[in-house]
Amino acid sequence: MSENETKPVAERRVLRAKPFSRSDRIFFKTATAAANSSIVLVTLILVFLAWRSWPAFQSQGIGYIFGSTWDNNPEKMIMQIGPMLWGSIQLSIIGVLLAVPMSISIAYFIVFMANKKIGSGVTILVDLLAALPSVVLGLWGLIVFSPVAAGWAKLLHDTLGFLPFFANEDGNFLRSPFIAGWVVAVMIVPIIASVTREIFSQLDRELINASLALGAGRWSTFRRVILPTASGGIVGGVLLGLGRALGETVAIYFVLNLVFEVNWFNILQAKGGSVASMIMSKFGEAGPAEVAGLMAAGVVLFVVTLLVNSLASYIVVKAQPWRK
Amino acid sequence: MEKVITPVARPKTAEPWKQISFTNMVLLVLASVVPLGVALIAMLAGLQFELALLLVFLPVQLVVGALVGRRVSGKRGMSDAILQVLVIFFAASVFVLLVSVVWSVIQSGLSAMSWQFFSQNNVYISQSTSLEYGGVGHAIIGTLLLVTLSTIVTVPLGIATAVYLTETRGKTRSVVRTLIQALSGLPSVVAGLFIYAMFIASGITQYVGWAGSLSLIPLMLPTVARVAEESLLLVPQELRNGALALGAPAWRAFWLVTMPAAKSGLITAVLLGIARIIGETAPLVVTTFAANGTNLNPFNGAIATLPTYLYGFINSNFDTAVQRAWGAALVILILVAILFIAARVMTRSKKAKKKAGK
Repeated sequence: MSENETKPVAERRVLRAKPFSRSDRIFFKTATAAANSSIVLVTLILVFLAWRSWPAFQSQGIGYIFGSTWDNNPEKMIMQIGPMLWGSIQLSIIGVLLAVPMSISIAYFIVFMANKKIGSGVTILVDLLAALPSVVLGLWGLIVFSPVAAGWAKLLHDTLGFLPFFANEDGNFLRSPFIAGWVVAVMIVPIIASVTREIFSQLDRELINASLALGAGRWSTFRRVILPTASGGIVGGVLLGLGRALGETVAIYFVLNLVFEVNWFNILQAKGGSVASMIMSKFGEAGPAEVAGLMAAGVVLFVVTLLVNSLASYIVVKAQPWRK
Repeated sequence: MEKVITPVARPKTAEPWKQISFTNMVLLVLASVVPLGVALIAMLAGLQFELALLLVFLPVQLVVGALVGRRVSGKRGMSDAILQVLVIFFAASVFVLLVSVVWSVIQSGLSAMSWQFFSQNNVYISQSTSLEYGGVGHAIIGTLLLVTLSTIVTVPLGIATAVYLTETRGKTRSVVRTLIQALSGLPSVVAGLFIYAMFIASGITQYVGWAGSLSLIPLMLPTVARVAEESLLLVPQELRNGALALGAPAWRAFWLVTMPAAKSGLITAVLLGIARIIGETAPLVVTTFAANGTNLNPFNGAIATLPTYLYGFINSNFDTAVQRAWGAALVILILVAILFIAARVMTRSKKAKKKAGK
């Protein structure tokens, strides 16, 4: 009897998560379209800027990046952003160097030293610092901070002037990369600090408690447990800050003297550069050909910051495996 | 009989690690007073404040801290004390910078404040006109108009993006997330150039308000999308599953269950997005033309905004102009503070509700 028995096996059911009603399909399609609009947006930015700046790239060639002259004489236009590009990098380096100790300290303070009340208060302050518009910081930097920082610069020059970094020829300490670097640092501290705080607060508490229970002090716990576990996130946060520093426009425009001459490392000299601020300062009275040159600077800036930021967010996501 | 248990306060001796012996207490007080005293003496002796801070106070504090740390908790106490001193020093310097910014804006801005500073516009005002005339009324209106316009476009886009990132299993989620994160570092001037290249250079329009609004969108979108995503992620998966299991279509589950649960977070997202763009200057300088008069129509003609107003007065030799700039800065700061406090209240009330629910 059993040989005749053929069990009618139902076809294997495929569980589908696909929306089956029309309204759901519309719902998901709308969300997908909106989300993909950010991809479209980035593409559009690149396409339009590249299109408008093509004449400049074409006429200037590779010298556009590496040369250091800007001459808007309409017959023989020379547009080269070398010093500005180096200036941006220089400012970001100064800013990051100043900001990293401050932001890691503040994150450490919030998460591991302060009690809950003080910690959340300081968190609010850091968020507030992040919300200060850059034009307000520019105003502050120009009128309040610059004179003070010029004093610091003079001190540095007087005490350590034998180092080539702190050389200054004309005794004018205002509008130097040093001061602009400080302003940049003020802008990026909250970014690095909030990423670092996020990472610190999500670290495995048991890991830290275990370290403390084994008799390690604060320092060895920080050095041997917290830093190695959180380093990925910190690096990501620093890169995010770097991206912001590279693109900082208005604040730098007010506190830095833009000069088309490469200033390699004399950071106390009133001679610096920044691609974003250069665009801003030249845009007002630029003719069509020069605008193309500024667009080209925008393309360079956009590509650089996009790369830095994508790398940064990739690292930050990688450093938080608990977030899917 | 029901036995009544009265809660007893935990005896203090239950936390022996919190007890500090008298000698150690004295030592700790000394450790915080001595460096200050030495630095003060050095300053009285004619040393500059910055030098006294860096070359006297900090080293003395480090040495004294290390010594006390060694006395109190042995060899490891030294490195711990040094770490703590450095952390507090750096954290305090951030605090000083922030207070300096806020304080100088408030102090200098208040001197420009008056009723007509809010109500009047900039017509017939030159750099040297006395502060009794003219104000930022037109710029406040302009800023509100442009920001509203950007918000209307960005908020649905940002929230829909967050929905895509949290509610669907789309294939491009990681790409979108990375790009959103990367867009948050988009240089603001590039956003302005983009709109300029797209609309103004191609002759579609002149400098006009809506172009400025458009240029703010790429700057606002990442903030809205990210914060909205965070808040949607906080909604427990069980809620969604429950709604779906009861037979609700996904959009109704979102509309009636997930979104109300995440409401305060979503509002926070919007508020933080507005706070992000309300002070943006560079894109507006590139795409709009600052008018002196009041313009209620962002679709036609020049329109002034607070940041461009501030930008116009900042680099001036006239005290009155600079005071106007400070005044505008204070107005921006007040707007940002209002948004911020509103966002805080939103998140606070949610947490409070949660606690009450438990």
